[in-house]
Amino acid sequence: MSKSSRFIPIYALLVFFCLQGNAVAGNHASLSEIKKELAAIQEKYESKIAELESKIEALSAASAGNTGMASSKNLPRKAKKVSNFNPAVSIVLNGKATSFSESSGEMEGFAVGEEGERGQEGLGLGESELTIAANVDDKFYGSLTAAIVREDGSDIIELEEAYLQTLAGLQFIDGLTIKAGRAFWTIGYLNEHHAHTDDFADRPLPYRAFFNKAYNDDGVEVSYLLPTDFYAEVGMGAFRGDDFPFGGSDGEGIGAWSAYARVGSDIGANQSWRLGGYALMGEAKGGRTTEEGAITFVGDTDLYGMDFRYTFAPTGNAREKEFILQGEAFWRDEDGTYNVGAGDVNHDDSSVGWYAQGVYKFAQKWRAGVRYSELESPDIQAGLVGTGLDGTRHDPRSTSLMLDYTNSEFSRWRFQYNHNELSRTSNDNQFMIQYIMSIGAHGAHKY
Amino acid sequence: MHINIDKLTTHTFKIVIAPTLAIFLGLMSAATLAADTIQVFSCEPEWASLAEEIGGNRVKAFSATHAQQNPHFIRARPSLIAKARKADLIFCSGAGLEVGWLPILIQKAGASLQPGTNGYLMAGDHVQLIEQPHSHVDRSMGDIHPEGNPHVHLDPRNILIVAKELTKRLSNIDPGSSEFYGKQFDSFSKRWSEALSGWEKEIKDLVDHPVVAHHKSFSYFVNWAKLNDVGSIEPKPGLPPTIRDLNNLYTSVKDIDELLIIRSAYDPAKGATWLGEKTSRPAVVLPYTVGGNAKVTDLFSLFDESIRLIKSTL
Repeated sequence: MSKSSRFIPIYALLVFFCLQGNAVAGNHASLSEIKKELAAIQEKYESKIAELESKIEALSAASAGNTGMASSKNLPRKAKKVSNFNPAVSIVLNGKATSFSESSGEMEGFAVGEEGERGQEGLGLGESELTIAANVDDKFYGSLTAAIVREDGSDIIELEEAYLQTLAGLQFIDGLTIKAGRAFWTIGYLNEHHAHTDDFADRPLPYRAFFNKAYNDDGVEVSYLLPTDFYAEVGMGAFRGDDFPFGGSDGEGIGAWSAYARVGSDIGANQSWRLGGYALMGEAKGGRTTEEGAITFVGDTDLYGMDFRYTFAPTGNAREKEFILQGEAFWRDEDGTYNVGAGDVNHDDSSVGWYAQGVYKFAQKWRAGVRYSELESPDIQAGLVGTGLDGTRHDPRSTSLMLDYTNSEFSRWRFQYNHNELSRTSNDNQFMIQYIMSIGAHGAHKY
Repeated sequence: MHINIDKLTTHTFKIVIAPTLAIFLGLMSAATLAADTIQVFSCEPEWASLAEEIGGNRVKAFSATHAQQNPHFIRARPSLIAKARKADLIFCSGAGLEVGWLPILIQKAGASLQPGTNGYLMAGDHVQLIEQPHSHVDRSMGDIHPEGNPHVHLDPRNILIVAKELTKRLSNIDPGSSEFYGKQFDSFSKRWSEALSGWEKEIKDLVDHPVVAHHKSFSYFVNWAKLNDVGSIEPKPGLPPTIRDLNNLYTSVKDIDELLIIRSAYDPAKGATWLGEKTSRPAVVLPYTVGGNAKVTDLFSLFDESIRLIKSTL
């Protein structure tokens, strides 16, 4: 908001107070005070107008071919302030054309949620995202992201994020930030990023199996950036426990906890890295429903993860050439009961999932990438043999190749090939063409 | 409240929280031992250099980018987040140049570094910006900054204006040394004014000389030296040229004698080199900022060297 437009409500408020002051007749002292304030405000207003006039002058001088700028003495010293549109609104359009060689994309040994499943074949929209964000005041920042997605034949709105975040104005300790509401919480690398910033058209296997694409429960997270020479950040979160891999929270107490620590630094002038360790622990009290309602898990899920990211700009200028290496690994420990429709079966075992990818920008507009991801299925009790949870001693794996074309910061086209072996009998060759278009405000990117 | 306490205290505490706490408590105690020099976080080398001119040994200046990097397109690297958080002053060009990464650093930085405070100094807020779009701005027009051209340091007159503001800011941060900063500014201002009148003499014979720059990053220099801007390698700001764009540019400049073709060290060489070969003119790599070539070690040599390089081709 520009200063002058912010100023108007204050002015109106003062007039209001002035009238109030008149109503309580006789209080001359406060009335004169208000008059004084009003005069001060008026003065401020006039200086504002003078400033505006000088801006107009400066502008017309600039348009007259900058001839007035020959000497340093007559160089205008006031900068032109541009009022940013408030709040910042951005829309991401995202569409895909997909072809699969196998009729089924079932992931053997893992019960996945709606968003972790293989996407739809053919032409179709991805998530169309609408984000509205702004500083609420001097102490809070607010942001809302709604995704419009197609699920079971109808377009529904998914509230991906709706959170407040404390600004420095509230920081009683420098470096401490509190985020509350619903958000893509800090677990691994990809989770806190919106899918449209991903380097591949789909999320890697551990995200599909362990997070149902992303963990965005309702809750609160506190992070603290340490005052160290290299980057070091720690944080903890407390969540409702409603989102995958948890579910069915009765709202009593805290359903899930998280903790993380990250460090990072540069190597020379053109390389940098970040390494993180994460834990997310909670309970699916009322049950985590997967495979379109066919499989329900009740019990504790603990996830431990690590992520690594390394960027290298061989010429120094990442605009022209850049190499990015990224990897994440997660260990999942489940302790509870699975129900596949024939009664509860005890389950207490762990599974592992990881991926590694490299993306190389070889020209200003072109990038190529390769990704490998793999899951190791858990051991199961006799009662689950033959069900979707039976890994049949097969580890789901996926290899992806990607080529994308970035016309500007705001538009990207991507071509991707996946070779997925998610079950013992399946060899799924997938081709995808994706577009991602951003309209409106375009915020800064995280590392 | 339902918290699985026994799990938290045994399993998690042992493997995650305890070692983390130990490491970070160690780091924190090390950090508090840091010296009490004023830490200046500059986004670009030119501002780090200016901070050293005014701050002398009472200031430690760090630059987030180097001369081989396009300052518009770096990442909000973890190291930068750490540096900004510990800074006493954030000193950048502003006017949208660092919009892709600086907000992330600012968001994690302290209250004394937020926009509008003494610790947040954007050069573009204190000088007259040129090339402000007059009416409609649209992304089909390329990477146009609605604020105006942010590459303000290449007009040497701007350096002095920014230096004065910097002196004020440093004095506010470190009032005990305000006299020192005042003296430093007086000395710098004297030397700069002398150098400036020398440069202004030297650029007199450049007036109206036709120039093609790769990007609008030299507009302030072009404007100051009164060169005649006859085109850019980029068809629209920030967009790399196609062969057709280059051919169009060539057609429009091929009859010009002694065309000056300039680019920065971080601009891709291809377009300027191609045009140079077609017109049989040298494509000059100007230093653009401190460190842009081996001879440019401060702001004085930046302008000395830029003018020398241009004149050497004529």
